[in-house]
Amino acid sequence: MSIRIRKFIFLKLLWLAYISPVSATPEFKIEIKNHLFYPAELTVPSNTKIKLRIFNRDSTPEEFESYELNREKVIMGNSQTVIFIGPLKPGEYPYFGEFHPKTAQGKIIAK
Amino acid sequence: MLLSSVVIILREVLEGSLLMSVLLALSWHRGLHLRWSWIALLFGFLGAFLYASEFEKVSMWFDYVGQEIVNASLHVVIVLFLTGFALLDQIVEKGYTKTKIIFMAVAASLTIVREGSEILLYLSGFLNNNDILPSAILGGIIGAGIGLSVGALLYYSLTYLIPAYARKVAYIMLALFAAGMLSHAVTMLTQADWLPSYHVLWDTSSWLEENSLLGQLLYAIMGYEATPTATQLAAYITGILLLLVLPKLVNKFVGLYAKNK
Repeated sequence: MSIRIRKFIFLKLLWLAYISPVSATPEFKIEIKNHLFYPAELTVPSNTKIKLRIFNRDSTPEEFESYELNREKVIMGNSQTVIFIGPLKPGEYPYFGEFHPKTAQGKIIAK
Repeated sequence: MLLSSVVIILREVLEGSLLMSVLLALSWHRGLHLRWSWIALLFGFLGAFLYASEFEKVSMWFDYVGQEIVNASLHVVIVLFLTGFALLDQIVEKGYTKTKIIFMAVAASLTIVREGSEILLYLSGFLNNNDILPSAILGGIIGAGIGLSVGALLYYSLTYLIPAYARKVAYIMLALFAAGMLSHAVTMLTQADWLPSYHVLWDTSSWLEENSLLGQLLYAIMGYEATPTATQLAAYITGILLLLVLPKLVNKFVGLYAKNK
């Protein structure tokens, strides 16, 4: 095998190693309906990066906010968004909808 | 409803109002015109309106992380303009007046774009709800009133101090703002998965919760974060170095160069 081809395969493997963890990030769904989060409690694996896909089924915007997760993001009405969280130590991480803090509350449980 | 809109609007207004007050006080001590603040407000509000109205589109950019990328970029650009201003202000005491004013105006107006757009998005949710809209707007007015009053208090306190002391306090505050903004930018990029995520370094939430009154105030003043990561800490230190240490270092070299000449 020529050096060039070997180099090419090496780079290809390096690239695959680089992109594969990204595509393996587990994804979880949360829905917002009538200013409530569904599910209100979501269990996720600990010590790993998680992709949250949040659907806002209301017509008004909401802000996903969590002090414990260090996360905040506005989600427009009738739209979806993506938030990456973790790696989390095992435990409970409350979050809430800042625009409707009284009703919109939820919790992520890392196990 | 009333209370939660007071809190939300206050949080957003406070950051912009404090930054504006510090910059205005620095201008006052340097004998610069304060008119730039009106232009910054005008462009800030226009930008906030534009950003809020295009928000849905922006949110979908880069596979639904456009919001994080734009907000992080805004924060980084604000810090760069503040650094540029600090360098000019401390190295060339007189002169470059226009450039200094433009740097301050850009930093202030981009802060208003960032905070103002969030207020507009929040209020837009109640536009079709006639039961809640009045209390949301009233809460907003009260929140904005408190935020602006705190800013005014800071401005007058800083103009009351002797110049050397006032400038020291003002620069420490600017450095803390910059540190908080860079740390927030890093959080945004981590949230978007553009930066790797790590475990948190420490947790001070048992001493001071971020959502307590003092926690919120410290967040606005110095970007208080109860559970920071290493990348956030690095960004925070960078902000302080840019605003407090870099101008001093450059000043020293300029002084040495002038001596040797």
